[in-house]
Amino acid sequence: MTPHGKAAGRPGRPAFLLALPSLVVFVGVGVIPLALIAMWSLWSFDPDTYWIKPVWTLASYVALLKNGRSIVFLQTASLAALTATVSTLLAVPAATVIGLLSPPRRATLLIALFTIPFFTSGLVRAFAWRLVLGREGIINNALISLGLASTPVEWLLFSDFAVVLGMVAAYLPFAIIPIVLVFTRIEHSVIRASQDLGAGFWRMFFSIVLPLIMPGIVAGFLFVFVVAIGTSMEVQLLGGAGASSISIMINDVMRVVNFPLAFSIATVVVVLLIALIVIANHTLRLSLMFEDLGT
Amino acid sequence: MTLDPIITGRTSGGRPLFTAIAALCLIIMYAPALYLLLASLNPGEQLGLVAPSHYSLTWYVALVDDRRLFAALEESAIVGLATAVLATPIGLSAALAYRAMTRTRSLFFLVILSAMFVPGTIEGLGLSVVLRLVRVSPSWFTVTIGHLLWALPFAVTVSLIGLSAVKTSTIAAARDLGAGPLRAFVDVTLPLMRGSLISSFIFAFLLSLNEHARAYYLVGRQNTLPLYMFGAMNSGASPTIYAFSGAILAVSFAAVGLVLFAVARRQSSYRLGSLRGDRGKALDQLSVGSFRGAGPISAAGNR
Repeated sequence: MTPHGKAAGRPGRPAFLLALPSLVVFVGVGVIPLALIAMWSLWSFDPDTYWIKPVWTLASYVALLKNGRSIVFLQTASLAALTATVSTLLAVPAATVIGLLSPPRRATLLIALFTIPFFTSGLVRAFAWRLVLGREGIINNALISLGLASTPVEWLLFSDFAVVLGMVAAYLPFAIIPIVLVFTRIEHSVIRASQDLGAGFWRMFFSIVLPLIMPGIVAGFLFVFVVAIGTSMEVQLLGGAGASSISIMINDVMRVVNFPLAFSIATVVVVLLIALIVIANHTLRLSLMFEDLGT
Repeated sequence: MTLDPIITGRTSGGRPLFTAIAALCLIIMYAPALYLLLASLNPGEQLGLVAPSHYSLTWYVALVDDRRLFAALEESAIVGLATAVLATPIGLSAALAYRAMTRTRSLFFLVILSAMFVPGTIEGLGLSVVLRLVRVSPSWFTVTIGHLLWALPFAVTVSLIGLSAVKTSTIAAARDLGAGPLRAFVDVTLPLMRGSLISSFIFAFLLSLNEHARAYYLVGRQNTLPLYMFGAMNSGASPTIYAFSGAILAVSFAAVGLVLFAVARRQSSYRLGSLRGDRGKALDQLSVGSFRGAGPISAAGNR
């Protein structure tokens, strides 16, 4: 039995050939457009062609700081951070139920249940919150019929609350799955040992389990944060009247064909996201989480 | 080998608390969608739940006359199929590459995975500008290219999980018996991975079908379904919106459900010896086809 199957004997070359199609897609569809955007963000707008000309300038980055654009950045980042925090607080117990408290069959079922909604329409799921949270939605109806409120609670919908709730519901799998992945690598004997030594559940959870799953927790937090930074439909469907997000801002800027400004916003976001992933990978060895897949 | 959860004893309230939170997670993930599905069966103009005896497909029937909806649906179906047709083999190839790699495999996977985190708006914008520059006019094809990058990380992951059913020893046996690499691939690897490849195809199709932000910049004259729906959702709520929202949800859930049903069926035929206490296999079982590998041999470890 060879250590790496077909690759044995001629390591490197077949692996590269097999990786080629996906790398072509990654570079061609991902890297090249993003690199060009970064370069073009430093060119000038050309009013004659409504396009850009190769005159290097930082003008779009200066404009980025004006007209309350930096506030949109902060708003988006803080809503994303809040979403990631709430998701993580929910994901740790939920992943613990899967990784620690369920027999394998139920664990499988739960993983499936947490994954399925991801493949259904995010748009429809965000939209569905309107029915639940609206003035005549199920929650307001319940509050009123229970006598807990006399008039519909307004802040439930078209508010930051609705946006965060919609994003948490949509992106929870991103927080749960990394923790579940880490749980699979925990030696059960460690946990049994702590119990043999008399640790109660909470002692065991906080001093043994939590430190062990920390890489998964941080990875999940980051994943949710990154996805929430880039999304726009929750804000568009559930946010208040003046609510904006980075993606909405890009769309608005593109409506007036201000290419350099749109490109500079995009560049800042992509650079920040890449930095986050690189730092996380460096400190947490994120990639090691995926080392044993498919073997 | 154990079938018990790791923690079976007293949990000082930990188990009920954690279970309640897990249930809460499932409720916020499913309840709004289910509520929408039920509300779409209400024949009245006023939205809300009615007794099951009053359920009616009135609004679904009204959908049939919506020509623009069907045009958008057709466009999305074409894009989704094209995305799945491309993403599935590319994902399989990447998964095989991952297995053939040694030190670079983690980095390779992280690179592929990172495509998932590029904001759709930015990817769509960048790609549309580049495509316009090389004079590719927007059409179903440009949308497909955009969706391909989005679907790829998932296709690779599903193929990878499926690949765990194909043990290197099985391939080695085929090779020892004289099969060339291609023969071993076609006669051993592919049949063992059939289920995961079907899953990969369906997931890629669904991801494309439901993608909104990327298509926004990449569509040609014909909107895709999510773009059409987004417009309808923001322009005054006619109850037909709830019907086609309900329809798209039902289709998505049915497709994923079908995949899982296939998993469960296969699982039951490999039940003997396939159950292990190891939670790692719980993840594997998400993918059709991995059950073949979950037998006693893999329990002994294949590395």
